[in-house]
Amino acid sequence: MALAGLLRRRVRVSRPVDAETYPKRRLTLVIAAAVLLASLPMLTTYILLVLSSFSETLVTGAEFLEGKPIRFTLRYWEALLSGRLSAIVMTPVTINVWETILNTLIVALGVSLVVTLASTLAGYAFSRMRFRFRERLMELIILLHAFPGVTLLIGVYLLYIWTLASLLHGVGGAGRAFAVFAYTILARASLEIPMSVWMMKGFFDKIPWEVEWSALIDGASRIRTWLEVMLPQVKPGIAALAIFSFLAGWEDFIYVYVFLYLGTEGKYLTLATLIDQLVGNLETAELPLAAAAGVLYLLPTIAFFALTQRLLLEAYTGGVKA
Amino acid sequence: MVEVRLESVSKRFGRVVALHEVTLTFEDGSFTAILGPSGSGKTTLLYLIAGIYKPSSGRIYFGDRDVTNMPPNKRNVGLVFQNYALYPHMTVYDNIAFPLRLKKLPRDEIDRRVREVAKLLHIEELLERYPSQLSGGQQQRVAMARALVKQPDVLLLDEPLSNLDALLRIKIRAELKRLQKDLGITTIYVTHDQSEALALADRIVVIDRGRIQQVGTPDEVYARPRNLFVAGFIGSPPANLIPAKIVARSGSACVAIGDTVYCPDKPLSEKLARFQEVIVAFRPEHATLGEEPAENMVSIEAEVYTVETLGKENIVTLLVGATPVKVVVEPSVRPQPGSKLFINVEPEKLMFFDPETELNIEYIEV
Ligand SMILES: Nc1ncnc2c1ncn2[C@@H]1O[C@H](COP(=O)(O)OP(=O)(O)OP(=O)(O)O)[C@@H](O)[C@H]1O
Ligand SMILES: [Mg+2]
Repeated sequence: MALAGLLRRRVRVSRPVDAETYPKRRLTLVIAAAVLLASLPMLTTYILLVLSSFSETLVTGAEFLEGKPIRFTLRYWEALLSGRLSAIVMTPVTINVWETILNTLIVALGVSLVVTLASTLAGYAFSRMRFRFRERLMELIILLHAFPGVTLLIGVYLLYIWTLASLLHGVGGAGRAFAVFAYTILARASLEIPMSVWMMKGFFDKIPWEVEWSALIDGASRIRTWLEVMLPQVKPGIAALAIFSFLAGWEDFIYVYVFLYLGTEGKYLTLATLIDQLVGNLETAELPLAAAAGVLYLLPTIAFFALTQRLLLEAYTGGVKA
Repeated sequence: MVEVRLESVSKRFGRVVALHEVTLTFEDGSFTAILGPSGSGKTTLLYLIAGIYKPSSGRIYFGDRDVTNMPPNKRNVGLVFQNYALYPHMTVYDNIAFPLRLKKLPRDEIDRRVREVAKLLHIEELLERYPSQLSGGQQQRVAMARALVKQPDVLLLDEPLSNLDALLRIKIRAELKRLQKDLGITTIYVTHDQSEALALADRIVVIDRGRIQQVGTPDEVYARPRNLFVAGFIGSPPANLIPAKIVARSGSACVAIGDTVYCPDKPLSEKLARFQEVIVAFRPEHATLGEEPAENMVSIEAEVYTVETLGKENIVTLLVGATPVKVVVEPSVRPQPGSKLFINVEPEKLMFFDPETELNIEYIEV
């Protein structure tokens, strides 16, 4: 579709094109074609998943070749969204999907907020301030990024258990829930922060010093300069960071599984752990239910790419001005 | 509205000495031009006054206040950066209004002042645009408007008109000068363009390699350059410099330029007597060309090398020995390259420099 749009646009151009935009359009065309080709297998999987969630049995793609009809049903979606899973799932689990979505959302938003805030502040500091051990710290951050997150899990888990048993001993209800979520969010966010700090530093590096000085001379305080002159100029970076870390939080399995699920004896589910539960407890015939949960799980990712794809393409073809 | 004073201010970047022991006073309400070649420390000097850089040593005063450690946002200076430094995410209007918003002025007052200064700089039609949609010259004028609109105590301008066409430049600098006098803003103006400096400034500061070479009125700097650098830098084309020997004639010191011997009067000849060699300098516009040596003039024989025709005048380059000398002549004068002519200069227009210290001997106390 994007390709067709591009082709149309290409044909319509009759007035002279700026030297700057002309070669870019052709490049975009090539890139779009390549990306489409490369993402074909992934795209097929997505489509099959969505189809499965609306059909009586799992759609594998073979049906189309054999000419078998796909029997359409909303049964699994109804069951999933109303939480009446006990009819389908063997073990008597009662799952509130809306609560699960809310949990997932809390984790995703929390990770997004923590990562964005921390990296914007730290990125600015690394870009603009001279302090002791600045270079050392920056190298350390790269090192942290290179460290696989799973290996940290054991240490973080021990700390978590200890915190729950000692500091939070006797704390129940909302207080405990808050602590559990905060812990999960911080632990997951810390995996994203090193790379994000570097990314934000890059964005701040691009702003000329003179622009910042200019604000100071105009009478702005440092904080005001940061808020009103520096931040607006790194907005694209902040947006990208917020989205990527949101997706990271939304999609995370291992941290959420260990801290939110295992750590609380199965009290808090997110979509990722829910799917894990479903797949583990379902008869093969009922797998479309898991497919429905999977579609929910992938929704933000798809929405994000659908939204930004247009933006990216337009930015490439020079349609969008700063 | 305030006097700016630097007391032996130095600025070092690592091992680079950008400014060395600068002591300068910019009088309240004065218009000073800073002239110097690229990399001489002009921008550094402005940044020190604005508070962007802290001096490595020395102190800076605004009137009686010691501002050496005062942050830039407390100094009430306006600065037009060499690269404009507009806020790319704000419209021209918001760029200009930004300093006023920070002062928390009422909305209509801000609007009035923004439109006033925009009119002055001929950018009224650009107010809704973003900086990326402006030409270099337009951006420069927006930067100027932003610096002027807050009516600063000190106005610092780093080559603010370099991107404007000649016509607009003359127009805007006339308005700048009038505004500066009306508001009494102490103004420091960095420029490469000497004619601009000579036309605008009450005083000129010539700087080279981080050191002040001369401070004086445009006339002084032009007519009595303190050293060889100033003589060779000011004026277009700059002063001619010819090495000469000091010879004794009937008991007094005379200057031998090639075959020409010139014997000056008493005070000067006494000063010259202390040297074996000097460098003689005169301005291209102070010399004339002739077939014959002229009376009461110092006449130097030379061979014509090239003639540049500039329309309202011609510049003739001649060789005195091996030293090239330029003379500005009427457009009708076009001597043949290779021909021998005499360069005639009035004795009062000659300047003499000590080749060792490079100082004008006028400035050497006996
Ligand atoms: N931040 C810095 N770090 C290191 N050296 C610097 C820095 N800023 C300036 N310098 C050096 O200090 C000297 C003076 O620089 P400055 O920018 O003041 O020159 P300028 O007179 O403004 O030149 P131009 O006319 O080219 O703008 C130069 O040698 C420059 O390389
Ligand atoms: Mg400069």
